[in-house]
Amino acid sequence: MTVSLWRSSRMKVNYGTKYSLPMLIWLTLLFIVPSAIIIMFSFMEKNQYGGVNPVFSLQAFKDLMNSAYFKILLNTIYIAVMSTIFTLLLALPSAYYMARSKYKSFLMLLIIIPFWTNFLIRVYAWIAVLGNNGFINQFLLKTGLIKDYIGMLYNNNAVILVMVYTYLPYAILPLYAIIEKFDFSLLEAARDLGASKSQSVFRILIPNIKSGIITSLLFTFIPAFGNYAIPQIIGDKNTNMLGTVIARELTTGRNWPLASAISMLLTLVTVIGVLVFTSKQKNIKKVI
Amino acid sequence: MKKYVYFLLVVVFIFILTGCSGSKQKLYIFNWSYYIPDEVIENFEKDFNVDVVYDVFSSNEEMFAKLKSGGTGYDIVFPSGDYASIMINLGMVEPIDLNNIPNYKYLDKSVLQKITFDTQSNYSIPYMMGGTGIAVNTKYVKNYEKDWNIFLDENLKNKMTLLDDMREVFGIALKQLGYSVNTKNTDELNEAKDLIMKWKKNILKFDAESFAKGFAAEEFYVVHGYAENIFLELEDKSNVDFFMPEIGGPMYVDTMMILKGSKNKELAEKFINYIHDPKVYAQIVDYLGLPSINTEARNLRTTVPYYTIDDLKNSEFKEDLGDFLSVYNKLWQEIRVEN
Repeated sequence: MTVSLWRSSRMKVNYGTKYSLPMLIWLTLLFIVPSAIIIMFSFMEKNQYGGVNPVFSLQAFKDLMNSAYFKILLNTIYIAVMSTIFTLLLALPSAYYMARSKYKSFLMLLIIIPFWTNFLIRVYAWIAVLGNNGFINQFLLKTGLIKDYIGMLYNNNAVILVMVYTYLPYAILPLYAIIEKFDFSLLEAARDLGASKSQSVFRILIPNIKSGIITSLLFTFIPAFGNYAIPQIIGDKNTNMLGTVIARELTTGRNWPLASAISMLLTLVTVIGVLVFTSKQKNIKKVI
Repeated sequence: MKKYVYFLLVVVFIFILTGCSGSKQKLYIFNWSYYIPDEVIENFEKDFNVDVVYDVFSSNEEMFAKLKSGGTGYDIVFPSGDYASIMINLGMVEPIDLNNIPNYKYLDKSVLQKITFDTQSNYSIPYMMGGTGIAVNTKYVKNYEKDWNIFLDENLKNKMTLLDDMREVFGIALKQLGYSVNTKNTDELNEAKDLIMKWKKNILKFDAESFAKGFAAEEFYVVHGYAENIFLELEDKSNVDFFMPEIGGPMYVDTMMILKGSKNKELAEKFINYIHDPKVYAQIVDYLGLPSINTEARNLRTTVPYYTIDDLKNSEFKEDLGDFLSVYNKLWQEIRVEN
């Protein structure tokens, strides 16, 4: 019965909506509804014991208009942008090397292995390596090269370092996928036609793998921008990121509307970033 | 093929459903992490032939946020005094029948007298009392004053941490200046903020998550925090000096409360009574190293606590500040952002 249906002309019926229904339900339940609740909360009055009173109020946004939050926003953008830049600078050559290597599957395995360990444990592992009493400091102290430990962790740069480490695999994988499909004879053709090495890379390779670069950018920037755990563990007294402030307002501050408003700000900046990048991507396709 | 899938699904469902609803009665407990040794829970399960489902939180705010956002189904929660009073005021808890808690008689009267939010223990039975102090690694730090102003010592710059906890840090600064930890005077709070800003220059970070691990790993030499967290992480306890400054600080009492809507109120009362059985309570304070508020358990415990009730004589219970909390919050935000 089902087989005959498949073969009949009804096959042309558009099953798109039907098939995408689970995805639609999933997105509605786990993304749209929570986001709507956050937006609603941000326009409500705070309850002094946490939670909100169902009364319309713009207080949260008035609270947000504070130079302190602007400073935190700038610091968050700085950390996220720096992390993204360094991640990409490392990911591009790695992905290129992997795609051209004989040992693709082995290298792929090496990229995936860190995922077998919990993310937080990997963050704490950095303390064991770079910490004040970490492996490197102990080694330098024992060899007498330094008298007191060097404070390598607990600052913004360390946060960026650990972010780069954490998001590097997410940046390498989409780049690898697209570079692998790239026809390398195009590079040879470019050289034959008189392009220099760098010209062939920047005018042939990079434009052709642009969509992979943009995916990697987004995969790094978005989680880095909203990160909470890394600045909390690796940061110092002055490391303030939007993620940590949201947690603070939601808990000790008992100011849910403000936490929701900051969360909206974070989502807004992310969405704008994504739109800017994806619109650029479309333009590129048109050109090609 | 489809049939097999359905069959498998049904089997899985039956498995899940029966797996969840065993024949034993279940007691749902929501408590601080590492606050009751596993053996105590296991023994309770054996003695009363029940199952205990145990969830943990790491701050009052987290616990409260979870309960407010619909996290129901727990029978017993362990809020600290300030949150206990909020939960009583909001009608979130069931009254407790003291007739069902015969072991209540062992509780230290002097401790009970200090409790202002529930003077007759109608809703809450005290579980543990304590306060934050300072742990110093004496292997690296030889000369120091046993005072909150240890954080002014520039020789220890970037080797110290303060708790990432607004009430605790304001509390110790206020006490150091001779004010109440529950002050609602803005001038006093601003003075406290100035003092905290001076401390901030010398500390490495505000940390409430990993101060104990960091202290044990010798990442930090001086940490502000809870004794039980710190000692739990330490293998070698010989190089540690944990002290509570003479001037006092904020202190807490954690209580056991039965949540409104609890389906196992009777069993919950049995559990509360079980905890204050002197033998059981002695086992708990031996594990935590905290002072015992159960007078009989003091004779049965086999370890010396990290500090005594007497160390807390100048300390003050943190009380709920109501709306005034937003003033603390604003100043705390400034402390965290300003240099």
